[in-house]
Order: sequence, then structure tokens, then C-alpha cells
Amino acid sequence: MSTTATATRQRGGSAIAWALVGPTLLLLIAFNVFPLLYNVALSFTNRELVGDESRWVGTANYTRVFGDPLFAGALRRTALFVLCAVGAELLLGFALALALVRDFRLKRTVLAVVLVPMMLSPAVMGLYWALILNGNYGVLNQILGAVDLPQPQWLTDRDLKFWSIVVIDVWMWTPFMALIALAGLSAIPPHLYEAAEIDRASRWRVFARITLPMTAPLLGLAVLLRATDALKQFDIVMATAGPNDAATQTLSTLMYQVVFRDGKIGLGSAFACVVLVVVIALATVFTRYLDHLRRAREA
Amino acid sequence: MRSPLSRILSLVVATAAVLLGACSKDPAPSSAPGGATTPQSITLWWFQWAPADGLQELGREFQKETGIEVKVEQIPLGSYQEKVFLEFGAPRTRFDIVIGDSQWIGRGATKKLYLDLTEWLPTVVDLKTIHPRAAKYLCEYPEGSGKWFAAPCETDAVGLAYRKDWFDDPAEKAAFQQRFGRPLAVPQTWEEFKDVATFFQRPDAKRYGCSLPSDRSYDGLTMGVQNLLWAFGGRWHAETSNKVKGELDTPGSVAAIEFYKQLVKLGPNGAERMDYGQVLESFTNGSTAMILNYFAFFPGIHAQFGDKVGFAVVPAHEGKRVASLGGQGLSISTHIPPAQQELSKKFIAWFLQRKVQEQWITKPAGFTANSDILKSPEFRAKAPYNGPFAESVDSMQDFWNVPVFNELLTVTQRYVGMAVDGEMPTEEALRQLAEEKERILKEAGLL
Repeated sequence: MSTTATATRQRGGSAIAWALVGPTLLLLIAFNVFPLLYNVALSFTNRELVGDESRWVGTANYTRVFGDPLFAGALRRTALFVLCAVGAELLLGFALALALVRDFRLKRTVLAVVLVPMMLSPAVMGLYWALILNGNYGVLNQILGAVDLPQPQWLTDRDLKFWSIVVIDVWMWTPFMALIALAGLSAIPPHLYEAAEIDRASRWRVFARITLPMTAPLLGLAVLLRATDALKQFDIVMATAGPNDAATQTLSTLMYQVVFRDGKIGLGSAFACVVLVVVIALATVFTRYLDHLRRAREA
Repeated sequence: MRSPLSRILSLVVATAAVLLGACSKDPAPSSAPGGATTPQSITLWWFQWAPADGLQELGREFQKETGIEVKVEQIPLGSYQEKVFLEFGAPRTRFDIVIGDSQWIGRGATKKLYLDLTEWLPTVVDLKTIHPRAAKYLCEYPEGSGKWFAAPCETDAVGLAYRKDWFDDPAEKAAFQQRFGRPLAVPQTWEEFKDVATFFQRPDAKRYGCSLPSDRSYDGLTMGVQNLLWAFGGRWHAETSNKVKGELDTPGSVAAIEFYKQLVKLGPNGAERMDYGQVLESFTNGSTAMILNYFAFFPGIHAQFGDKVGFAVVPAHEGKRVASLGGQGLSISTHIPPAQQELSKKFIAWFLQRKVQEQWITKPAGFTANSDILKSPEFRAKAPYNGPFAESVDSMQDFWNVPVFNELLTVTQRYVGMAVDGEMPTEEALRQLAEEKERILKEAGLL
């Protein structure tokens, strides 16, 4: 075959490759890269939701973000939310997976029922939970009242409302953790357990040396996915408390308030940039940790 | 035969063409076949509630007279504001007329979203027939400046609805007399209101004293609290300026919020966070003796309970009575073609006629700003809530309506909420609120 023919074929192959990748790249640039860069540019302006005025304000928006007690409060609250909700989901989900990994009658039915919460829309579930937890006519307080138990104000008591939202999130997303953990548990080769049994390893030792390390990478991935999702918590807070409650405001609802209620696009963009940096930093730390786990497992 | 590369490229080009086609602007409306002109129509946006149905009915009358179709699109209240202002971000709004909250008028006027009606409005209506308080708060920006950016549509104020049958019950009357040493009657002062609410607060019997707007998601708490704030001598800002410090953080404001804290405890479970709908529901489910809510909700209550309910103006404190203003004005979008603006003006001019306003007040919760109608004995006699409504219009007052009202509302809801919930001492909450408000106003160049 001549060199010219090879070069022509290579050029043709390269063109096909670009033709295949090109549309995706274009879409990524249009819907991811451009909005991101535009958001960064907006964060240095005083752009508002309505009106054409837009003036360069330097780092004034960032100064405001870092000096704003609302931002500090929302950041602290969001971190607490991620820690508590994802932590509880991990523990409960793993426990649920351990209970479901063995074969028993109606296992498939039980599994299907357990998975229902995560299949539902968070916004709709938030509205349902707002009805269930309503202090006056909510079904939960009606039941508590019927058996002469105190009827707390789940969504209005300042000490309870944040935790009510955590509980709703745990209810929704524990099945997701359970599903991932179940996949991890099912993938453990049975011969490892057989070998441990021959060695007369204790149940705790089996759990600590086989079950946990073998499922850890998948659990880590699930935690990463849930943590990044929980950092954006919006639907449940909006449905149960609204965007402006000092006790429940998360970063996403604060941004909603700033952009869509107050109409401050520039300031909201600065909020978004800071949140993005926080999320990327956390995700990087976590993926590195997952890599470390993977390498340790391979070694 | 075409190569695979050219096929793929053709596919990519075709896909791009389809996508671009889908993303392109809607085609311009074409004239009807045969050269017939397209029927004229205007679109109004309002939030979803009974008066919007009434306005749609009136719109049909307008169509009969002029041939111009009127479409009243109802947007859920929770997302109404966001949808309206997002719409103003577009070069052409989908509405021709927006029935905007009184507090939006500063934003609408200064951002040139609402058409200036100052020159035109006096040519179609005698401005003296519009109640001065409705004009000041619903239509003019700045307040009382004579610059009109809206025409009154729904005039509303907070009032009191109470269970007349409970108040008239001889056993209740005797018990109240024995406990408080005076007859059980419709409360004229906030102190009397608290006594009556305390008297009827019987959670074990699922009977409650009162419900007041206290929701934090939009403006409920602020609209509830300010009835007391003004009556107790507090105010959001100075009479003639936007100065807040030393005006809001005063003993009168503190006393009002402290009193409000006591009142929300005299309601059903969760009464410290009730939106207007939940306040209404607490009354219509038959459990609550008194509610504070907007008059626009009262026709529904009357339809359900008939003579078992009564209506009154909000109570006073040491002779001072102020009702929180509600209601919305008709504003024409600047983001529509001049021809649509002319059609919109035609509708507004028609709507403001006395004969149409007389029809408007027959619609469910259609409340007018027409002074002559408000004063007329016929109007007051027409429904039991009309008299108290007309009286309330004389004392109604509004929250901020400057362009940054939303930010002011946000911090008000937050700090007053923390005070009512006991998360922060009331004095401290008001001090911080005053500081925050002055910061917002200074940033906006309003102080």
C-alpha cells in the first residue's frame, strides 16, 4: 500500500472521529463550558434579573459573599446537612443491604418496595412530607395525638425543622445507598467467605477484613454521588420551609433567593462560583481517596 | 455511492439543522387565509385565585363590546413573582398587562418595565374617583408623586373574620363576662383581641383562638405583623425619608412584635407559620374563632358559613388602627408592540368605568378602588364584609414599594421571624434589621 493511501485513510479516520465527537463537544461547550464562563464573567458585574444595566464591579460581589453572615450560615448548614444526611444514609443503607443480601421469600418484592422512595420526585415528596409533618393537621401528629403523645411542630419548631428535612432526605435516599451496597456485597466472591470459615474467623473479623474492604470502593462512589447531590439540596427545603428560613436555608435556596427573588444576578453568580469551587474541591479530595482505596485493594 | 464519512456529515448537518430550527424564534403571526385580519386579543397575567375568574368574566363582556379578546392567565401564587420578572427579561413578554403586587411598582417603574400612564390615565378616568390610598400605594411611584404606572384592579386590605355564632352563644357570653368582666364582643383593640383569642383557645376541644398570617416563604409574616407595628407606634421607615435606624428599632415596634408573639400561640398547632391559605383553612374547617386575612378571601367564607360569621376592621391600639394593604394594579408591559399597548389601554379605560366597576364588585372578591362606590350605602349593604372593607381602605398602608423591596422583604421576614420564633431577642432583631435595611437602601442609592 502506498504512503499516500495510508495518509488519506488516516485523514479520513481522523475526520470520522471528529465528526463523531464534534456534536458532543459542541453541546458540551454550548451547555457546560459557555454557561460556566459566562457565570464567572457575570459574577464581576452588578447585573440584575431585569433591566439592561450591567457594570463591572470588580471583586465586590466576592467581598460581599465572604462577608455575608447568610452565606456563612448557609454553608455551615449545608455542610451539616451533607454530613448528617449522607452519614445516616450510608449506615442505614449498608445495614439494609446486609439484610437484603441473603436469599429469602419475597426478596424481590421487598427490594422493589424499599426502592420506591428514591424513584419519586423530591419536589413532590417534599410537598407530601410537608402535609405529613404539618403540626396542625399532619397525619403524623394526628397519630401521635391519638395515642396521647406530644405533637411536636416538626416544620416550625426552630430546633426541629432542620432535622425534619434531614429525616426526609434520609428516607428518600437510603434505598440508593442500599442498592449500591447490595451490588458491592453481591460481587464479593463466595470463596473468600468459605476460606474465612475454614480459618474460623469471627463474624466481626469477616465483616472488617472482607465485607467492608470489598464494598468500600462502591460505597465510596455512592457517598460521593450522594454528597454532591446533597450539597445542592433544594427541593425538600423549598417544599417544606421555603427559601428564606434562617434555620433551614441551604446554599441552593440562598442562591434562589438572591437570584430569583432579589433579582441580583451578579451577586448570585458569585455565590455560584464559590459553591462550585467548594464542590470541586470536595469531589477531588473524595475521588483521590477512592483512587487510594482502589490501589490498596489491587495491591 | 456515498462514502460513510459523507453520510455521517450529512446526518450531523441534518441534526444541526433540526436543532437550530427547533431553537429558532416562533414565527411571526401571519394573517389569516384570504387576507382576513387576525382577531385582536390581549393577555393578562394574574395569580391563581377567585378574582381572576371574575376578571375573565368581565373580559368576555369587553370582547362583546369591542371584539378584542381578553385572556386572563392564572399563575400559581408561589411562583408568580419569579415568572413575571423572568418574563420581563425577554424582549417580548407573553402578557400585555400584568396585575402586579403593589410592592412591585418601584421595580416596574424604575426598570422601565411598566408603561408610564401619567399622561394618558387622566384622559380616561377622573383620578379623583380613585381612592387616594389605592392611588398612592397601588398605582403611583414614588408614592404620592402623581406618576402613574398602574391603574387599580383589585383593592384589598387585611380585615377580621370571626365566628358570629360563637360570639352570640349565650353560654359563651356568660362565661366570657364572668372571666373578663365585660361582654363578649367583636374586639376593637388588640388587647381585646388577645382576650377573646385566649378565651376561645381550647386545644383539647380542637377549638382555637385565632390565626394570623405568619408564613416565612414570601410575605405572610410581614403582612400580619405590620397591622400591629403601625398601631403600636412603630414604622418601617421615617415619614418623609427612607431612614430606618431610629424609626424601626423603637419601643413601639418591639411592643408590637412581642404582642404578635403572644397572639400566634393562641392558634392551632403550627400557627407560627401559616400562609394565607392555611389561615383561611383554619377558619373554614370550623376550628378557629377569629382570623386576620385579606378581604378577598372573605366572600368564600361568607358563602360557606352564611350568617354564622361576621367581618370587621382590624383592631386598634390606643386609638390607632392601620390595615395592611393588599391588592394589585393593572400595568402595561413596555416589552410589547405599541399596537398591543393601545389595546391594553382600551381594556383599562373600559375597566375603570363606573358601570364596569359596579359589575366588578359583584364578582367573587372583586373589590374596587372607586371612592364613590366605596362610599355608597348600596355597596356597604350588598355584603356583610363590604362595610368593614370600605372602612379599612381609609386606613390601609403598605410595606416598602421601592425597587429593592424584595431584599427588604427578605431581611424583614428573616429578622422578624427570628424574633417571633424566639431565636433572637426582639430588640436585637430589630436593630440588626434596621442596619441591614439601611445597607440595602444605601447600595440601591435610596438613602
